[in-house]
Amino acid sequence: MVTRRVLVGYGIAGGLAAPWMRLGAAPLGTGVTDAEIVLGTSAAFSGPSRGLGIELYRGANAYFKEVNANGGINGRKVALKIYDDGYQPDPCVKNTMTLMLEDQVFLLFGYVGTPTVTRVLPMLKKFQDRSMFLFFPFTGAQPQRQPPYGDFAFNLRASYAQETGGLVDNFVKVGRRRIAVFYQADAYGRSGWAGVRAALKRHGETIVGEATYKRGSKFTSIMRRQVEILKRVEPQAVICIGAYAACGAFARDAVDMGLRVPIANLSFVGSENMLKLLTQDRTPEEAAQYTDLLVNSQVVPSYEDTTIPAVREYRELMARHNPAPPAELVTEEYTPFEHSFTSLEGFLDAKLLVEVLRRLGDNPTRDGLEEAVFTVQNLDLGIGEPVSFGPARRQGLQQVYYTVVDKGQFANLEDWAGRFALAGSAPNAGSPS
Amino acid sequence: MKIKRLFQKTLFGVIGMFMLIGVATSVLAINTVDGHLSEEYVTNSRNIAKTIADSSVDILLNRDLATLQSLIDQFLGIQGIKYIYIADEKGEYLAHTFVPGIPDEILASDPQSVETVERSLPGIGDCVEVGSPILAGEAGTVHVGMDKGLISLKIQQAIGNQVWLIGAVFIIGVGAGVWFVSLAAKPIGQVLAYGTALANSPTRETEDADDVLGRNDEAGDLARLFQFFVRPSKADEPASGPPEGAATS
Repeated sequence: MVTRRVLVGYGIAGGLAAPWMRLGAAPLGTGVTDAEIVLGTSAAFSGPSRGLGIELYRGANAYFKEVNANGGINGRKVALKIYDDGYQPDPCVKNTMTLMLEDQVFLLFGYVGTPTVTRVLPMLKKFQDRSMFLFFPFTGAQPQRQPPYGDFAFNLRASYAQETGGLVDNFVKVGRRRIAVFYQADAYGRSGWAGVRAALKRHGETIVGEATYKRGSKFTSIMRRQVEILKRVEPQAVICIGAYAACGAFARDAVDMGLRVPIANLSFVGSENMLKLLTQDRTPEEAAQYTDLLVNSQVVPSYEDTTIPAVREYRELMARHNPAPPAELVTEEYTPFEHSFTSLEGFLDAKLLVEVLRRLGDNPTRDGLEEAVFTVQNLDLGIGEPVSFGPARRQGLQQVYYTVVDKGQFANLEDWAGRFALAGSAPNAGSPS
Repeated sequence: MKIKRLFQKTLFGVIGMFMLIGVATSVLAINTVDGHLSEEYVTNSRNIAKTIADSSVDILLNRDLATLQSLIDQFLGIQGIKYIYIADEKGEYLAHTFVPGIPDEILASDPQSVETVERSLPGIGDCVEVGSPILAGEAGTVHVGMDKGLISLKIQQAIGNQVWLIGAVFIIGVGAGVWFVSLAAKPIGQVLAYGTALANSPTRETEDADDVLGRNDEAGDLARLFQFFVRPSKADEPASGPPEGAATS
């Protein structure tokens, strides 16, 4: 269901916007007034994947609130118009039309999902004379990273090709060459599937088996048929390209049906939501059975690693502002996480976007956006990896992190061979990265 | 009693006739609708497959499989399309819409063939599958499976409409039949009553027989014939023949 209610100016929440600023507001350009810069978002705030949209929003909101509390960007507050698309392409397209043509936002920010974003990209090309750009979508798919649509989006996170490539490389190094894929039957799943296929091809291997599920499947869905399909090919590892509810259901049924192989998930899965589904109402011993073979790739460092400056800043601002889910859009039950990989990514997205907007100067225009992004060179966001952009480089970060469940929470995976080496086979030479 | 049996036979005749008409027209309708819809489905499927094939060229050459998947997902929203899959020139499945996986029957088939085939797939149902080459087959093939169940549904709807029509005509026809038979039965009943009265009358005379004797149709002729036969024979009376018209009826 598409929720059409709009939240305006969440960054202004807390009484930060002085009334005189609004009265004196005069349009300087589309999406920008003297008082605020309006960003547009369409994301999943309902349905089985709502946790992704909510946590991404909360992380970004923590940073925007801090910026607004300190005077905004060159005197302007950051405001968001947000719509719910439920992680469905058609509502996302409709929302985007509204954001571009009616709301006339300055730019698009914080979209969630490949099937949604891939449908929006042609719209950006259609309206390219308006210089409307999509910033930092929560997807690692290729379409917004390459022609013909790569020029209309900027990405911060590593790609699915990098995530799946890293997973395959590490599995192969520990002797697990028979890799199967469980994926969402849409553009997201296909993007990850293509990444696994390409990575295996580099090792002279192919995908040994595949099973799919429908987007929107819930944790209560039965995935036994998919497990049966994959069991037939006797995989040594399964890479899942899906969202937390379906991937959690698959992991549950795989364990129940005796498919005891490492089950890898990509960053999009929403690790904390998945872990919660797999462990709730179970004893720690029971929960461990369902989680000890999980390995999740991430595109941001662990939020538990407080030696990282950006993680400390993230934790501090999350605690200070305690951003709530957008109440008018989130009508289903949802309990936010204190910290999560998804909200940390949203936080870093917002931090980089604010830096870009600052570089636009006192009179921000859309025409200057691309040039402003390209001035970002070796920028330190505080995670130890410099961020750079350019005409041929539209993705800021490249690093992929690997995590496993340890003592009930995700922790960095330091030793692939120790954790996942295939019994009876010596790992390949070289230490997994 | 004879009238009732005559009425029943007529009614059964009417019902039998309508059943024959109904069955005959239904068979004709099934054949016609099935033929037309199947032909239309195959044509539409070919057009859709060709559209996807034409749209896929640049996407395939760019190796952008996410966009390719997004493209076929949009076509899957068209009513009647049950599945779509695209295989490359080597026969590898690059994108498809199957859940929970590619059916064994399709895995066992030749993905480069563009022949129209009928398939019965578990969990999907009966389908007509058509194929279209991409770049004359050099870049692969697109296959579209259309739901045959939808054709059956259309046939059922057409037959249902026809049954309604025939049912209405049947009811009207039976009503009309009953009315016409009653019209025919009424003078026969008068003749029968007149004949019975004559037989029961010692004088071979009846009263109030003017209605039936006055009729100038076959019933009147029959009544007058009865009257002629039951009158006592009188040798001294001048011979007289049967009433005019009785011998000719």
